[in-house]
Amino acid sequence: MKTTSAFGTHARRDVLRVAAVSAAGLALSGLNPAVSQSAFAAGGRSGPLQSAGVLAFGPDNVLFVGDIRGAAIHAFALRTTDLTSQADVELGNFHNFEGRDLVRGLDQKLAALFGTTYDKIVVNDMVVHQPSQQIFISVERGRSTDALPAIVKVNHGRLEVLELDGIPHSQAGIPNEPDPKAMLEFDTQRSFAITDVKYYNGEIFVTGVSNQRFASTLHRIPYPFKAQMETCTVEIWHPVHGEFETRAPIIRQLIKEVEGEPHLFAVYGCTPLVRFPLAALKDGAHVRGDVIGELGYGSNPIDMLTFTDPFDHKEYLLVTIDVRSASRIAVSDLGTATPEPTGGPIDFGPGGLGKTQGLLPIKAEHTEILNPKWAVVIQRHPKTGYRLDISSLAAPYFFERRDGMSEMNWPDGPDPFQYRQHRDEISRGG
Amino acid sequence: MVAGPTLTTPGVARPVDAQVTHQPLLMVDSDPGQPVMAVGIYSLDAAFMASVGRYVQGGGLLQSVLRIAVGQTGALIGDSLPDVFGRYQVLEDAIRFIPHFPFERGLSYRASFDPRPFSCPELSQVLTLEFSLPKDQDALPTEVTRVFPSSDYLPENVLRFYVHFSNSMERGRVEAEVSILGPDGEPAPDVLYRAPVELWDGSMKCLTILLDPGRLKRGVGPNRELGPPLKVGQEYTLAIGSGMIDLSGRRLHNTFHKRFRVTEAIREHIAVDRWEIVTPVIGSREPLVLTFPSPLDWALLSHTITIVAADEGLIEGRTVIDQGERRWSFTPALPWAAGSYHIRVASTLEDVCGNSVLAAFDRPLRPGRDLAYEVANRSISFQLA
Repeated sequence: MKTTSAFGTHARRDVLRVAAVSAAGLALSGLNPAVSQSAFAAGGRSGPLQSAGVLAFGPDNVLFVGDIRGAAIHAFALRTTDLTSQADVELGNFHNFEGRDLVRGLDQKLAALFGTTYDKIVVNDMVVHQPSQQIFISVERGRSTDALPAIVKVNHGRLEVLELDGIPHSQAGIPNEPDPKAMLEFDTQRSFAITDVKYYNGEIFVTGVSNQRFASTLHRIPYPFKAQMETCTVEIWHPVHGEFETRAPIIRQLIKEVEGEPHLFAVYGCTPLVRFPLAALKDGAHVRGDVIGELGYGSNPIDMLTFTDPFDHKEYLLVTIDVRSASRIAVSDLGTATPEPTGGPIDFGPGGLGKTQGLLPIKAEHTEILNPKWAVVIQRHPKTGYRLDISSLAAPYFFERRDGMSEMNWPDGPDPFQYRQHRDEISRGG
Repeated sequence: MVAGPTLTTPGVARPVDAQVTHQPLLMVDSDPGQPVMAVGIYSLDAAFMASVGRYVQGGGLLQSVLRIAVGQTGALIGDSLPDVFGRYQVLEDAIRFIPHFPFERGLSYRASFDPRPFSCPELSQVLTLEFSLPKDQDALPTEVTRVFPSSDYLPENVLRFYVHFSNSMERGRVEAEVSILGPDGEPAPDVLYRAPVELWDGSMKCLTILLDPGRLKRGVGPNRELGPPLKVGQEYTLAIGSGMIDLSGRRLHNTFHKRFRVTEAIREHIAVDRWEIVTPVIGSREPLVLTFPSPLDWALLSHTITIVAADEGLIEGRTVIDQGERRWSFTPALPWAAGSYHIRVASTLEDVCGNSVLAAFDRPLRPGRDLAYEVANRSISFQLA
């Protein structure tokens, strides 16, 4: 392979000279800060990652990254130097639901950073490091086998690549069924598309979709990871209308203590909401959960999180959904909800807790809670559509005044959300 | 073969001032030990490098001196875009930039070297260089090579298709390009499942397409409301649009159609005891042949059936799946010896409708909450004597 032909003999000589002096160059100790000004040691472009998918934070600043291509969950124990407090970032005017764009043109800026065009940028997930309020996103350059992963953080509106080399790292392989040594005339590679990872009390819970089995397999892995991995794989069924039971992949999950016991709440494609006691999820077990809600058919859940309403101080579950409004359900109802099915007629649309869900106008591709008053979203710019932004969005209505309700700012204008009244509450509450 | 970089402006940028004895050169290069193409400013004299050292030690950033940006970003935002991210090397007479991710072939980049922060009177001219790396030669056009299930007759509750392409593909196009055409030739609505993540294998040559399980499963809302996605006796077409994009950015050579006629649904577990077995002759390398009453899942079939000897040792050999995934043949690496053998069938094997060895895709509700640990594999024994 010849890479210097276009330069002719002159360039060839120069390149050889560079190679000859490179050892000397690196030995110039006074100049070493130049190297530390930027990214990785040679060769470790993406550290141990083969792909960068779902993200979650655990205790002690541990960032979990789901790696579908590498069939693993990675744990990066971020150091204090990897984090920058964003507490001083202006998030908007909470009193009238007016957020701010924290990063405009996210996809275009990522493309510039990674030396490509924005159609080659895929933003897979976003997570907030709560103590610092710093936003982390998982990104890939490219959409095929040549895709290169990166973790990018937002520092006061600027995008910074998280330099993975040097961060204490461990990983757990996602167990697959053992592969018999069959010799086939062609390859049938199995893959497990990790859809969610959550940390709870010394364990991570990993869900995903297989390209071959339509199964509901949940992996339960202790963290810190041990050399001898003890993982637990559970097959999960859910009942259908009192007559059948079936299996499906969990798309999003959340672990929450309700009624004094930890439970796993799972949302599937076509959005049944299912409840499992964590204690039942034992290795090798086949478990059937309680369907406690149906959030609407023909849709996919995007994010599943909880937040505390700054007005009534109650905790709510929020499920954002791709083709319809997001669902808001009181956490207190999750434990007491009667399991479906009831045996009666089933509506086409929300059922169970889905019937009492609050609908919120979130159209974001990713949503995370930033602090008690603000969420942060990655969304297509509502009026132009051609660019992806990271913006703040005020809780608890997740409603952006800038998107076209500016008459609410008029002295005698409409006030459909009684925000003036809430503004008073907020003022009284300090 | 990879060709060298193409330069849209003269390959080496240098100052026009002929008085300078050392002429800095801004150029693209590659460290012989590394595949990553880098950009460097070379032939810097010792006095200049000393001022670089002072600049860096004083907290100066080389990012503001040697900058590389994408030439044509297509960006439409007002904000300024960041430069390409990478690391810097300071050599004896040069500064090099190595991008975090390799420069992309076919894209143009713009490098600029601005020596003004160093306050060297003899070197104050900004140098710029545009470059791009040629794209690899296009290989053969990409096409759909195979689809499973391969039969032209599929049950009403068929769950999934595997679509094979001749090259690796890009993700992100499936929802727009893959459809089931109804008997009228128009796309049938709400038939396919929109997976939250497109289901590709590691090579990105095999795509898994699911029909909407909510319409396949009895009792689930969409099934009760809309009925099953396919109707018995009708003819449908799985259509893969030519807008699917391959690894090198090209569309498919042709739109691909697989036509099939719909037969009665299958709603029972895989009955292993109804398989036909043809056992081989001792001392031969004849295949052991299993024939199934209805098609099984092509991918799962390839790794869920194994042959073990009486001592539980795995028999190595080669598997062929044919006759519309209704026949599985196993040719051993060594001739068959006398003795007893077991055909092990993993409980995870499914048919084309998602019915497993254990139960139908949608099984009748079992009583109780803690369900039996149904993980036992099925086993069929045969004797060669």
